[in-house]
Amino acid sequence: MRDQLASILPALVFIVPAVTGIIAYFLGRASITARNALVVLGALATAALGVGMLYQMLASNAVLTTWGEELRVDGLSMVLVLIISLIGLVAVIYSLRYMRHETAIHWRDVTEQRLNTFYCLLMLFIATMLWGVVTNNVIMLYVAVEATTIASGLLVAFYWDRRGLEAGYKYLMLLTTGVTFALFGCVLLYAAAGPHLSGVNALLITSIRGVAHLFPRSMVVVISALLIVGFGTKAGIAPFHPWLPDAHAEAPSPVSALLSGVMIKMAIYALVRTVTMFYPTWPAVATFLVGLGAFTMVLGILMAIVQTDIKRLLAYSSVSQMGYILMAFGIGTYLGFYGGIFHLINHAIYKALLFLAAGAIMYATGIRSIHDLGGLGRKMPITSACFFVGALAISGFPPFNGFMSKVTIFLAAADQRLWWAAAIAIGTGVLTLVVMVHAAYAIFWGQPRTDRLQLAQVREVPASIWIPMAVLAAMCLILGVYPQLLFPLLDRAAHFMTPAAGAMTALGH
Amino acid sequence: MYNESLISTLSLIMVITSVTAVEARNLRTAAFAYAAQALLICALILSFAVGNPALKWWALVAFFTKAVITPWLLLAYVRRTSEREVQAIIGFGPSVVVAFVILISFYKLTHTYAQFLAPTPLAMHGVFRTNLAVALTVFVVGLYAILSRRDAIKTVIGLCLLENAVHLSLVSLAPTLRETALFGIATEVVITVYLLLYIIQGIYQKFGSTDTYKLSELHW
Repeated sequence: MRDQLASILPALVFIVPAVTGIIAYFLGRASITARNALVVLGALATAALGVGMLYQMLASNAVLTTWGEELRVDGLSMVLVLIISLIGLVAVIYSLRYMRHETAIHWRDVTEQRLNTFYCLLMLFIATMLWGVVTNNVIMLYVAVEATTIASGLLVAFYWDRRGLEAGYKYLMLLTTGVTFALFGCVLLYAAAGPHLSGVNALLITSIRGVAHLFPRSMVVVISALLIVGFGTKAGIAPFHPWLPDAHAEAPSPVSALLSGVMIKMAIYALVRTVTMFYPTWPAVATFLVGLGAFTMVLGILMAIVQTDIKRLLAYSSVSQMGYILMAFGIGTYLGFYGGIFHLINHAIYKALLFLAAGAIMYATGIRSIHDLGGLGRKMPITSACFFVGALAISGFPPFNGFMSKVTIFLAAADQRLWWAAAIAIGTGVLTLVVMVHAAYAIFWGQPRTDRLQLAQVREVPASIWIPMAVLAAMCLILGVYPQLLFPLLDRAAHFMTPAAGAMTALGH
Repeated sequence: MYNESLISTLSLIMVITSVTAVEARNLRTAAFAYAAQALLICALILSFAVGNPALKWWALVAFFTKAVITPWLLLAYVRRTSEREVQAIIGFGPSVVVAFVILISFYKLTHTYAQFLAPTPLAMHGVFRTNLAVALTVFVVGLYAILSRRDAIKTVIGLCLLENAVHLSLVSLAPTLRETALFGIATEVVITVYLLLYIIQGIYQKFGSTDTYKLSELHW
């Protein structure tokens, strides 16, 4: 194991946004400007703490730990901390103008009270996700995953209309039920590790990982199944995904960007953190994950084809993209983890971008149905350009970032002679290109097929809405042209995972 | 060291309370049945506290969250919505049969293939096997409630049953570890229950009923 560096930053990175959110709730009653300034500052501080942790990690080449080994940030956690804090910052800035507009439509005279709740929950949501990825305690991992559901449940139902309430109920009910399976898995993990470890060590994921090879095989099967169902539900893995399109489509757009861009990544992180410890003793679990990933990616994209609602289409494409990430993690080699983590970062960026662009379309037109839209390209050139960048990036089109990570995953599959997996992944990529480019074409070029859209009144969205999108679009291009920028981080992340998967080289031969 | 017959009796009564909580047509009755089950779980945790004093704290917290706050929330929201349950998909008779079959099969399973789920030598004792069988039964009954009940409040009760089942298996599988108490306290879901009921109240106002079949705005 590499060196450890005691650092307080992993604790601060989730305490700061949590405290900001709670203060913002009360501050909003006194002054709206002060509340908005505080929330932006809090999000900025969180992102700065994330970058500070990255600097500490790269400078010392060590794992950051806090309170003994209660919190532990290795390369993989670091990747998640960065995307959560940075996408969180983008979502907060985007919300300032967007949510005032949308909340006024749905809540009329109580807009500002509702926005106090919104910002409080948004910051708590970011905080709980960060807590989940820095903790090294198997109970706290479950508690943090459940806490993200609690924090985001009211955000999903925020508009409090029929669709929002239905999505909110399904979201809370299905996710909590699903995650209870993961809790059962964690209980068995803890009970199985108990006899081999002493005291608080029985709760630390790193120490459980060390004794995982001592568990009876039957136990490993049961635990893996429970954890895959539990965290897989939260990660939107098929066939546990039905909550995802409802929640991601009905939530306010900045929240959709966080749910689809970041929250499901945090869940797959929890899955990988726990299940990969069984790769050496039970390689079949890895093959199973590759198969589940392939199933998820195909089902997701097939469901996306038939969607006419732009946000539901994007939500189903998230299901499909999670399939890629799961497949890459299932391959289990260095290259597989490298590609999976790279794709995780890329998907966070372009899916957040696409949801924010869909939000911009709704802001400008009030319409979500693709059939009712058309010809927006001339009226909204910036939104249009951003959406096209996102659509091409998610389809794996060079020179954007999605191309680089998808190629890495194809190579990782081919390297292990998993030809069927590589073929399915490439086929899904082609379908994604068709679905996304068709949607982009229908919205921004062509003509609206109905008269709901008053094209003459459409204006480009204000700068505080398009600047966050432009930043994400630029990142898609930069990471596509210079993928080596992420190498120091991805290399560490992939290496931290690989030792556990050392026995995996025989897979597929 | 443990009073095995007491523990077995308590845990077997848990099955009866869960079936009552799921089957009672009147939601108030269901909430009281749930409270009874919560008291049983507290008693079970306490009976394990002989070997592990830290469990007393968990029993205390569980008493407040499971036996006081959760039933109180359920009753409060039943009062604001509707007391009478929306007709379920599967009726009373078949449900009882299902629950009985599940209990018998899990009892068989845990007593024949104990090593399948029991990681420690201690957990191979008869009483732990019975508890595990009960925990699995309550878990499946909870899942069954979530899947087969149309009334949203009933599904919340099902969720609480899932949670109790996990807690029962936790205390039965690792009764001697000190962290078990912390584990149990940290994983109480009372906040989720509150949020769900809050949203269900919203649904009742907008849809005029707590029937989940009427939630049909979102397809595919």
